[in-house]
Amino acid sequence: MGDSSVGKIGNVLRKMNMFARLLLIAVLALAALPARALMTIEIVGGASNKIPIAVLPFTLPQEGGLNPGDVITNDLGRSGYFRMLDPKGGVSPATPQGLTLPDWKNRGADAVVMGHVIPAPGGRVEIRFWLHDVVRQTQIIALSYTTTPAGVRSVAHKIADVIHEKLLGEPGPYSGRIAYILKQGKRYELQVADADSQNAITVAASPEPIISPAWSPDGTKLAYVSFEDKKPVVYVQNLVDGKRRAVAKFRGSNSAPAWSPDGRQLAVTLSKDETSQIYLLDLETGEAKRLTRGGALDTEPVFSPDGRWLYFTSDRGGSPQIYRASLENGEASRITFEGGYNVSPALSPDGKTLAFVHRRDGRFHVAVMDLANRQMQVLTDTAFDESPSFAPNGRLILYATLVNGRGVLATVSVDGRVKQRLSQSGDLREPSWGP
Amino acid sequence: MKHFAIALTLAALLAGCADQPAKDAVIEDRGIKVSPPAEKAKAVDTQGMPMAPVDSKPISGAAQDAAAPPPAQKVETRALAEPATEVKPLDGAKTGAPVGGAAGATAAGADQSAIALSLKDPNSPLSKRIILFDFDSSAIRDEYRSLLEAHAEFLKSNPASKVILQGHADERGSREYNLALGQRRAESVFKALSLLGVAEGQMEAVSLGEEKPIAEGHDEAAWQQNRRTEILYQGE
Repeated sequence: MGDSSVGKIGNVLRKMNMFARLLLIAVLALAALPARALMTIEIVGGASNKIPIAVLPFTLPQEGGLNPGDVITNDLGRSGYFRMLDPKGGVSPATPQGLTLPDWKNRGADAVVMGHVIPAPGGRVEIRFWLHDVVRQTQIIALSYTTTPAGVRSVAHKIADVIHEKLLGEPGPYSGRIAYILKQGKRYELQVADADSQNAITVAASPEPIISPAWSPDGTKLAYVSFEDKKPVVYVQNLVDGKRRAVAKFRGSNSAPAWSPDGRQLAVTLSKDETSQIYLLDLETGEAKRLTRGGALDTEPVFSPDGRWLYFTSDRGGSPQIYRASLENGEASRITFEGGYNVSPALSPDGKTLAFVHRRDGRFHVAVMDLANRQMQVLTDTAFDESPSFAPNGRLILYATLVNGRGVLATVSVDGRVKQRLSQSGDLREPSWGP
Repeated sequence: MKHFAIALTLAALLAGCADQPAKDAVIEDRGIKVSPPAEKAKAVDTQGMPMAPVDSKPISGAAQDAAAPPPAQKVETRALAEPATEVKPLDGAKTGAPVGGAAGATAAGADQSAIALSLKDPNSPLSKRIILFDFDSSAIRDEYRSLLEAHAEFLKSNPASKVILQGHADERGSREYNLALGQRRAESVFKALSLLGVAEGQMEAVSLGEEKPIAEGHDEAAWQQNRRTEILYQGE
């Protein structure tokens, strides 16, 4: 459902009573669902001043191929920052001179995107796009990409990133990938998908639970916890060749992997010496160096992007709270104080914002804290939020929540204004946003 | 607007249900049995990751104006083929996976069957394997004293036998934090058995967190059943 139609429906709805609203929207949403069980995306809220933009369908070498224009329209439309204008059957003209910018100005567009997919030597394809400022009637950028036919979707996400950055002045979040666990009956699948949750690929499947996937900084590996051996063991899997190895299989439980910024170490929670404590695992030598001490429970480590700090959850103060320890001298200090349950720390790529799960009135919400002034803000109104992680651009937080007992993935902007829900048949949990 | 959001959620749920003709069965495998080979996960579709090499460059020749495109940029992405990995349950009996890093469980066949018999006797206190815990607690209640004493006696008189103590938590909150809570519950039973004279090498305390609930409900009755430690004998 596009933003514009949501807006119109919203106006009608205000005049109806609540029950009628629920019913009508249920019917509309049902009708809007595709026949296949694809992921669908619902958007709630959005920026107050959305940029009106038209993305013309790209011309294709033959009918039926993936149209980059569709992917770009979906990406920008679900971000909450753009209002997508219907191209009304228009297609990209042969040259940018063929665009009648005054017409688009009359239709309310601030920007227009057009493009072509054309055959290139060696079975490859070339994708060209042009972004125009309709108000000033100027070309903002034009780029050409050469790739294989299978790479068209990936290039379309990159184009959406470029458009986002050119018009909003900050990097777009569209070309990253997400990893998450899909539970289907008694089967657990670790999947990797594009950031729009399309193009999902199962990289590991098990009849026993898998949790806590974590992306290596270069995006070529996933660390995760698998229970296939009747206890939690930490594995690292290479996504290029699909091979994996158990990197932490000590006596007791092994869990909560987090990559160091240089990708050489994993912080993990082990119970081999005492109750759950945090260790640094050298991935080359396999050596585990103990980092936290004391009988309290320490887990969920995460490195600061500069590699100087380790944030983690501990109940050393009587309730689970987030602490950070210096990786230079090991000294730890408490970060969260509000409420009796703050867990699952995640850091923004610039290291300035902490996201975590905060319990309030028995409900679990995603919250953020500005680490400079320690101000906390609760971002969500759902009740069972888990596993927050930042988009590579730092503007969105991906998390899991429960709707009617079923796990779904959702995103919220760091200012809390834009919320999206990605949904799919099956039970989704443990998302992690990667490069 | 809030109602609208709720309605959208509702609608999506309705639709989600409609999409799934058969709801999956609840998990009943409590991790006590070693999964039989027939339970092996099915082969996974293998797909290449469509991350082909991409070159990008500004389009030249097109009319340029004041807002000229930046200089040519080269985007290089490596091909990422991602074959799926099949994870199989380890057959504890076959591989003799050591408990606590000790030597493999290769107890004599005769001993094994004798052990299995007394463990399986429903009238024996040894048939009781589950210790429940209060909310946010790993303290063992008095009611479990005789259960633990029975297992301690058995383990002491059968030094070749080994147990895995699996701690569990209810579903509320973080999975990793719950894993640590379950670990503490397993360690609590470990310490209790150790105080009763069981050799530490015969036991391993591990946690399955909130991943293997006994009760599937979302209320205190279900949560109480799920906050537990299970005693699992090797080779059973």
